[in-house]
Amino acid sequence: MIAQIRTMLKKELTDAARDKRSVMAGLYYAIGAPLMMCGMFMLLISQVTSPDALNINIEHSERAPDLVKFLASNDITSIDDSSRKDIVLSISEDYASNMAKGLPAELTLSADNSDEKLQSSIRRLEKSLQLYSAEMGSLRLIARGIDPKVVQPIKVNVEDQATADSKGGMILGVATFMMIYAVFISGMNLAIDTSAGERERNSLALLLSHPVTTRQIVWAKMAAVTVFAMLGLLLTLVISKIAYGFVPWQELGFSVNLTPEFIALMLIVSLPIALMAAALQLFVSFMAKSFKEAQSYLTIVLVVPMMLSLAASYNIAPDTMQWLPVSGQMQALIAFIKGKEIPMLQLLLSSASTLAIAFALTFGMEKSLKSEKIVFGL
Amino acid sequence: MIKVANLSKRIGDVQALNDLSFSAQDGQITGLLGPNGAGKTTCLRTVFGLLKPDAGHAEIDGIDVAKSPIEAKQQLGLFPDPFGLYERLTPREYIRYFAELNGLSGKQAKQAAAKVLDKLHMNDIADRKCKGFSQGQRMKTALAQAIVHEPTNIILDEPTRGLDVMSTRVLRDILRDLKQQGHCVLFSSHVMQEVAALCDQVIVMADGKVVAVGSPDELCQQTGKASLEDAFIQLIGTDEGIAA
Amino acid sequence: MFDGTLDPTRQTTSLQPKYRLALKTILPAVLALSSYSFPIAAMANTEVPQPEAQHACYVTGLSEQVRCGSILVPENHQQPEGKQIAIHYTVLPAIKSNFGAEAFLAIAGGPGQSAIDNAAYFDKVFSKVRQYRDILLIDQRGTGRSNPLNCEGEGFEAGLALNDESIDIAATTQHCLDEQTADITQYGSESALKDFEAVRQHLGYSKLHLYGISYGSRMAQLYMRHYPQVLETVTLDGVVPMQQSVVAIGDAIERATQILLDECQTTPLCQQSFPTLAADFAKVDSRLAEAAITTTTRHPLTGEASELLLTRSKFMGAIRMAMYGANIRALLPYAINQAAQDNFQPILGLYALNMDGIGLAMGMHSSVVCGEDWPRLDDAMRQQLQSNYFGEQMLIGFDESCPIWNMPAVSEDFSDAIASDIPTLLLSGENDPATPPSWAELAMEKMTNATHLIAPYATHGVAHQSCANNLIADLVNSRDVAQLDSECLSRDVSRNFYLNASTVETTTAANDAQGASND
Repeated sequence: MIAQIRTMLKKELTDAARDKRSVMAGLYYAIGAPLMMCGMFMLLISQVTSPDALNINIEHSERAPDLVKFLASNDITSIDDSSRKDIVLSISEDYASNMAKGLPAELTLSADNSDEKLQSSIRRLEKSLQLYSAEMGSLRLIARGIDPKVVQPIKVNVEDQATADSKGGMILGVATFMMIYAVFISGMNLAIDTSAGERERNSLALLLSHPVTTRQIVWAKMAAVTVFAMLGLLLTLVISKIAYGFVPWQELGFSVNLTPEFIALMLIVSLPIALMAAALQLFVSFMAKSFKEAQSYLTIVLVVPMMLSLAASYNIAPDTMQWLPVSGQMQALIAFIKGKEIPMLQLLLSSASTLAIAFALTFGMEKSLKSEKIVFGL
Repeated sequence: MIKVANLSKRIGDVQALNDLSFSAQDGQITGLLGPNGAGKTTCLRTVFGLLKPDAGHAEIDGIDVAKSPIEAKQQLGLFPDPFGLYERLTPREYIRYFAELNGLSGKQAKQAAAKVLDKLHMNDIADRKCKGFSQGQRMKTALAQAIVHEPTNIILDEPTRGLDVMSTRVLRDILRDLKQQGHCVLFSSHVMQEVAALCDQVIVMADGKVVAVGSPDELCQQTGKASLEDAFIQLIGTDEGIAA
Repeated sequence: MFDGTLDPTRQTTSLQPKYRLALKTILPAVLALSSYSFPIAAMANTEVPQPEAQHACYVTGLSEQVRCGSILVPENHQQPEGKQIAIHYTVLPAIKSNFGAEAFLAIAGGPGQSAIDNAAYFDKVFSKVRQYRDILLIDQRGTGRSNPLNCEGEGFEAGLALNDESIDIAATTQHCLDEQTADITQYGSESALKDFEAVRQHLGYSKLHLYGISYGSRMAQLYMRHYPQVLETVTLDGVVPMQQSVVAIGDAIERATQILLDECQTTPLCQQSFPTLAADFAKVDSRLAEAAITTTTRHPLTGEASELLLTRSKFMGAIRMAMYGANIRALLPYAINQAAQDNFQPILGLYALNMDGIGLAMGMHSSVVCGEDWPRLDDAMRQQLQSNYFGEQMLIGFDESCPIWNMPAVSEDFSDAIASDIPTLLLSGENDPATPPSWAELAMEKMTNATHLIAPYATHGVAHQSCANNLIADLVNSRDVAQLDSECLSRDVSRNFYLNASTVETTTAANDAQGASND
């Protein structure tokens, strides 16, 4: 019984490893997805962070030499070249006279606030202007013999409960989705090839004519697809670990680091998901009439785990999601990333429901392989 | 020995098997002859337990296929049509794989595969991937798979279809060999000459029923025709679907 | 008034950090009159301290969680089994830890300043360093949380009406000494250095990058002398050379004051507004030297009517402290000009900034200065010190307090120049009222791999007043002082001088506008 499963598993893996399409499907995702994520993050970071030297358009800079000097000392300058951001700071005509009288001297900051690329630069400029204004305000009070502390009636000490891990967790939450999905993608081609493909090549009937049970066949195929899925995940994790090291997270003020603990947990937690993914993909492929048909069915079916996973990533309906397959595990993983306690009960229950689905589908497949309709497409 | 008794099977609107009974003896080559659509393949699939008969049963060496499919199948080797090769495996891997599925240990399977490769003169192609094989090479591979575990009963579904003359001759030699060794060989065919040349017993099928049983000579005598072909046409009432 | 959107915390940080770090040495007079309203729980603490395992914590001014902990060290390193004291440290963890075995140790000034209390400041200035390396802050023994030697009691209440020149320094020093339960002779720099090294070993850092500001630069140099093998790079900012007694700060104050006066003369707007600034300054100074001025004013904080006794010490002290900050310094010409016209409000405002004290553990301050700086004053130096106001006051103060504090003098070789080939960056601000650029030159006498950069517009503490913090980050990464691109240091980061109580920009526009509206 076990010997034959092992024989079949070995054959399936040998066969799959030689199938360029199956291997490449896994490889493309495992290598491509983390790199794409990294590229996306790098782009994002470069867009949300203000450049070291911020070049804006300061109109009438001659009206406020000290302010311009102050901004320059904060690396905010006005140079007419291509690096200039679309931010205009205009100094009013009566700036100096109002300031001399102790009246508010007016500046106009004009920029498109909806432009995400500008936001951090706008905030930085506003912050610099506030700093300058606050400093002048304090010095004006000192010049009048008043302690600037009197205009600071309240001092708020902020204690941010976020840890270095939990800050990176926001990012990793999205990345986790991509990693879990590797389980579905990596084994998919093999699942189709070994079911719909096997039937299409007429080897299914031959296999069934040998003294093996349908249970052995299904389990061997499940095992093969699961192994592929897990290898895909492992590769995705390894590539991610390496690739994320090159993303300049520090510019966001926190780091994203795939720890060995996280990788280990990810692998353990994903095993039931991989089993379910294998069962689901094999089941659907067996139901399909051809390789092509199986592909199109699976594309539709895989939307479901993707939705579950996304729902967990973006924390939609967390109460329901925590018990469901995929989303439950995702939530546990995100909790771990954020340095919180892993919700064990929830993780066990969602893993159990995942396995239950996997076994139900496996059982269904065993039955269906005894059906003439499925085997011969009659 | 393969024995089917009172097999009936409906597929869709067609009565594919209709109270079919026959037996194929060890040490004999039995031909299942019938026009296209006579129910030959359905019959063979039923023998393998891949199809469930509506009535009747099939036995392999006295084992009821429906009741003990695994044990029954262990006594069987199938040369299928189409072959169902795994194109990414080499014949050696392919043959070993099925040997192991039939309960041989890794080592035994390896030896058995080597032996059968030798026997079928396949050593030159044994370690090439099956992809791109000629029809003759494919036939040999499929055949090797069917006999590697030395089952008492070997079933061949349209074995000569698409084969060139040389390959057909090789196949015939092997089948005779198997017969000499005491195996029960059952094959389906719609090629008259093949049946005439090889078979000890011919079972003529039409519309899911056995219409005649006997050696080629007996069938000729029975119908009073000089050639098996004429006898066959006589038996099934038409020459449709028969290849000379 | 202030715009409602202003962040009030920012407003103080923009003014304060300079002198928090900048304080080198303090006038003995200041020692006697600053009110140290520190929470002094640790002083009466006779319990046996316990080491704290590293844990998540919050420190003043930083909203994020950082790591804190402490280790126990013998108060007297010669008696390892004797009384133990806790040395507290804080780690600002690297954002992206690529160099886990390396840390950046930032050493605070004073002497007597807490490094941990300035965590937010170090975090801001060294954000680039922190991207890849932990920043390690240690409260030096006798400061902050590490068994602080604070002083409080009679004569420590600040007061507008207080005559700080009549305070009995000997009595206050004695009073402070009586309060101490610690063995104050163990709170010099070299004992503290052993603590630093113990913390490094405890935390498992194999290499350190050092940053020492002001007095902290002395600690950094001692580190170079005693444990060169664990140092990757060293930055000395506002350098106190080993060869130099800090009591000589008076010359630096005099020099910085002269630079300020000259600068106003050569700046057209300032020159036009205050054409007689040097004379004004001399006038007020000599008037106060004769007698303190008593006026009635509003208290800077409470707004209540109060009597202000403006002594020469308060006036000069206010000016001295204002010179530490590039932004507050901008107010000085106006403040001096107004004082000469009997408007003491600006001076009162400047004086009030430091009325609460300057956050130094004065007991530790005395242990350092009286053990390491005061004993090495010879006759020639004493002669030199007499030549200016602050030098004279320092001498008087320490001559009175140090015999009472009775700190054993360090050995003579303490004052030897540091010979080292560790990549070392020395930073000086041209306008520094504490450590002039010439001191850095002296410090690097025997350093073979050192670069001295002078920031033309900076005062004391160049790292936070210029791009020098980025240069330090570059140095930490490259370990090469030769290839630092110092061009950015020449960027003008100064502020225009205030021309009246409101503006730094030209007032002629205001006059023109008024003129125009009158037409």
